[in-house]
Amino acid sequence: MAELKLLFKHAHDPAYATLKGYQATGGYEALRKAVKGERQAVIDEVKKSGLRGRGGAGFPTWIKWNGIAKDKKGPHYVVCNADEGEPGTFKDKQLMEQTPFLLIEGMTIAGFATQADVGYIYIRGEFVDAARALRKAIDEAYKAGLLGKNILGSGWDYDLHIHLGAGSYECGEESALMSSLMGERGMPRLKFPHAPLPTVAGLWERPTVINNVETYACAPFIIQNGGDWYATMGASTKNSRGTKIFSVSGHVNKPGNYEIEFGTSLMELLEMAGGMKGGKLKACVPGGSSVPIIDAEACEKAIIGYEEMADVKSMVGSGGCMFLNEHTCIVNFIWRTALFYANESCGKCTPCREGTKWMFQILDRIRRGGGREDDIQTLLDICSQIDGRSFCGLGDAAAWPVAAALRVFPQEFEYFIKNGRSMVESEPALAMLP
Amino acid sequence: MAVASNPETVEILINDIPVQVPKGELIVESVKRLGLEIPIFCYHPRMKPVGMCRMCLVEVGFKQPDGTVRKMPKPQAGCTLPADANMVVYTDSEMVHRDRKGVLEFLLVNHPLDCPICDRGGECPLQNNTLFYGPSTSRFTELKRHAAKAFPLSQYVTLDLERCIQCGRCVRFTEEISGDAELAFRFRGASMQPSTFELRDFGSKFSGNVIEICPVGALTNSKYRFRARPWDLETKPGICTVCSNGCNIWFDYRVQQMVRINGRANDAINEEWTCDKGKFGHEFYNSNERLTQPLMRQGGSIGPANWTDVYAEILKHFAEAGNAAAGIAGPVASCESYTLFKEMFAGFGSTSIDHRLYSNPVSNEIANAEKSSISSLESAKTILVFGNSLADDLPIIFLRVRKAWFKYGAKVIVAYSGANEVESFADVSLRYKPGTEEAVAKALSEAMNGALSAGVEAETGVAPSEYLRAAELLKGSGAPIISSAGLQNLKAGKEICASLQALAATINGRFNLYALGANEEGARQAGIVPGKGGKSVGDILKACKKGEIKALWILNSDLLNEYPDRKLVNEALESVEYLVYQGWEKNETTAYASVVVPMTAPAEEDGTYVNVDGTTQHFAPILKAREEARPAWRVFSDVMSRMNSKELIFSAAEIRERLAGATR
Ligand SMILES: Cc1cc2nc3c(=O)[nH]c(=O)nc-3n(C[C@H](O)[C@H](O)[C@H](O)COP(=O)(O)O)c2cc1C
Ligand code: SF4
Ligand code: SF4
Ligand code: FES
Repeated sequence: MAELKLLFKHAHDPAYATLKGYQATGGYEALRKAVKGERQAVIDEVKKSGLRGRGGAGFPTWIKWNGIAKDKKGPHYVVCNADEGEPGTFKDKQLMEQTPFLLIEGMTIAGFATQADVGYIYIRGEFVDAARALRKAIDEAYKAGLLGKNILGSGWDYDLHIHLGAGSYECGEESALMSSLMGERGMPRLKFPHAPLPTVAGLWERPTVINNVETYACAPFIIQNGGDWYATMGASTKNSRGTKIFSVSGHVNKPGNYEIEFGTSLMELLEMAGGMKGGKLKACVPGGSSVPIIDAEACEKAIIGYEEMADVKSMVGSGGCMFLNEHTCIVNFIWRTALFYANESCGKCTPCREGTKWMFQILDRIRRGGGREDDIQTLLDICSQIDGRSFCGLGDAAAWPVAAALRVFPQEFEYFIKNGRSMVESEPALAMLP
Repeated sequence: MAVASNPETVEILINDIPVQVPKGELIVESVKRLGLEIPIFCYHPRMKPVGMCRMCLVEVGFKQPDGTVRKMPKPQAGCTLPADANMVVYTDSEMVHRDRKGVLEFLLVNHPLDCPICDRGGECPLQNNTLFYGPSTSRFTELKRHAAKAFPLSQYVTLDLERCIQCGRCVRFTEEISGDAELAFRFRGASMQPSTFELRDFGSKFSGNVIEICPVGALTNSKYRFRARPWDLETKPGICTVCSNGCNIWFDYRVQQMVRINGRANDAINEEWTCDKGKFGHEFYNSNERLTQPLMRQGGSIGPANWTDVYAEILKHFAEAGNAAAGIAGPVASCESYTLFKEMFAGFGSTSIDHRLYSNPVSNEIANAEKSSISSLESAKTILVFGNSLADDLPIIFLRVRKAWFKYGAKVIVAYSGANEVESFADVSLRYKPGTEEAVAKALSEAMNGALSAGVEAETGVAPSEYLRAAELLKGSGAPIISSAGLQNLKAGKEICASLQALAATINGRFNLYALGANEEGARQAGIVPGKGGKSVGDILKACKKGEIKALWILNSDLLNEYPDRKLVNEALESVEYLVYQGWEKNETTAYASVVVPMTAPAEEDGTYVNVDGTTQHFAPILKAREEARPAWRVFSDVMSRMNSKELIFSAAEIRERLAGATR
């Protein structure tokens, strides 16, 4: 299979980032259609489409939208998670910079479906260009009556705001994002069943929908062409529909964002990205740094789909796909990953706060030649003491890559510990290392 | 399946034992119903649960219609999980034990393990949980986190950052309970640390509480640091006598020295908190200025004397003075002592006794009116605070008022001339010009009828619209009005209190003129007020000046510093012929005494005290009396037996029994 450009169809046309250019390609037809009909009809279409969250967890989008109270008793909110902090992922950046109206229209449709009053786009602090592009687009939409009061004569008012984060991976976790948005320290909040779902009590304790940029960007296509149409894409998979953007990086010839249909194989994706560079394929982290690493053999079998990736013990995640060639030292790779999580742990809960740092300290010692035989078992134990015990998903996300690397490439750790150096002969300069 | 009869009650299974619990009750509380315990660190029953430390992980499942149990894939924090129908909880499974070990191993990797020199060692939740649930060894061989070991957060609190387990209790206390939000976390991950903003002084008026709720030895008491190990201390229950709130405390002492004060739980009064004034205000027990011997003036100088001579001398002057004798009682003596004080003066033939150290004391009718109990404030829908800086004057009442707002959404109105803590959560703040209390009280009453007199803004500095907003909230609200007895020092004290009482009547509320001194209520109840033809404090002082009062007895009050008119006190003390000063500490006033009678301090004698809301509390003796110091009542009894051969009284209990008999 080749690329299937739906969201990215016009991405490289600068005019597409203007309202005029966007509308020339059919932009805002979906919103027009939506506001003419019932709100529930929007949700029904999204249900038919089989759209699942593109932020990482793959949660059915319609369930969130449908969970918002139908009898409105106060403000409702729509939030876009544009924090894109997952290492290896850079699709939302491109979407916001080149297709800002897709996100704005998508969020407006979501707002209409859930009777929201205000939408917030929480953008990763470093994404200044994306914020600028969105600012321009939002201003245009306001002028054209596509945001603000009485949108398209529907009698419905909806405002859209941008908020820039301050540089914390944890603020991409939805409840921490809401804390941050409300001006609190970016720490996660209690989740169901310990507290109500965000759809019941989210931002300012009001019903709130939160989705990823890419998730919202799919909505205009679903409403315009129908959920059934959308669901024809990816029909070969068990339960993944539509397209998914993969940010391909690592040792490939043409790194970049590639939009593919679910059901495409991982090797096809590698091919689109120009194949391996500098050596044979050794391993792949298919869905962002949090997901388990897989070896070349598993790559051969991997089909891109939420359930299909689980067959090779990994995940679609956020689509940050890193291919590693044979000269990559897995110990060093995981060392760098562990450093990231130790730095990004918010500090709220014990397992993640202490465990991520300890894991890094052990890996660091191994990397400096001071490894000990029992280190592998200790690392595995730490992973299991974090996984499922931490307050939010960051702890799990920190444990999975380490546990997976130890499972898939045990010999590399054993060798490093025994010999005090990497088993990979020509370790290329780890340019990204401090 | 058993269906709970009360719709609010659900049946859950804890370790296979069925229990009925209120729906939504936190599992950490539910297990206590079975006498079980889930170990905790961050959870505190008086604050919102946060689920940070993960010490309380339990296994949870749900009973399915077919009778099987579906377990949740991950363990759940028992401190944040609300009980729900068909919930199944395991607190003792293999997984739970493994998880507890895991969490404790993590908590200890960066912990300095300096228990041998830690204040908390011996009474430390981290030690206890580690002993019961933790691993016996650590696999951690890396470099530990290093941080400040003795960082002074304030004059009272010193932070040892290395010991901190980042549970957030201290931070949450300042956000939820004291409300000053003085502490917050800075940095993240393993570097996260509680801190004041920009490392400024930890300025909370309730800062001492965080020392006690910190589950490790991170927040330490600057006054107690390294002074003792907990097992070397003796601990007895006591009552704080620094102010009228009557907080219940734990009195820790060692070789007859007060060592530290901690909060003791009493839901009706202080819950479990103390204020800093109280917690750190008990140093007087160890003071070098304690009065320990009877002293008598001979010629120009005062020197040690024996009791026999002292009694004879006192009797001579007071019995002779008769109606020209007077007694002023300070607010910190036991009810037993007040009772005999009054009797003794009756014996002298004088009705000039008073305890009201105010320039304009209100009528007995207002003073004797029943007060709202501290705990009842929490269920008030609307509260009016009038004329005081509540957190300073009535700290524990302040915490309740704040709780009423924070936890139960009460509307609060505050009227005060200066910045104050209540303003931070008040719906309406009437910040009036100093000295205009009377006009403000009047304007509030007028606002109830919607008709404010012209010029009210010019006079009081508060816009009419604000009065009207306050009135809107007060109308029919039943709001308690909270004032302190300090109002009686204002020129128009009586009129203000009368206005407020009238206002209370129109809104179906209650006007509370709360006492300020530890047993001021007790003195009032014992009738230490001028009898027929008797003089009030102000009149006594004026009479001393004119030579009409010949013998004055001051019971435990540094009058020069406690009565608002210092000049008058000074003149009175200089003029009065004969002055008995009875108290436990040397002060400015003692310098004028003809006779100094040493008195035991509250923890050194058996006595009862009536707090601000009228609760009578017993304070059993803890320390020995200093040398020759005696309970005040004993001195009164001694004097009376010499005066008219009254039978001697041997214990405070005897007085209590007599009083109980009298009311029966
Ligand atoms: C530590 C952590 C970081 C996350 N970062 C992001 C992020 O940067 N962007 C994102 O869309 N979702 C992120 N997520 C996932 C969100 O919590 C949430 O699942 C997502 O916003 C839901 O949107 P979706 O249903 O459209 O995927 C993160 C989750 C965790 C646990
Ligand atoms: S100082 Fe004490 S109370 Fe505060 S976070 Fe640290 S351990 Fe918890
Ligand atoms: S409120 Fe008053 S009685 Fe209570 S601790 Fe503080 S000073 Fe003592
Ligand atoms: S006591 Fe439950 S997480 Fe801390």
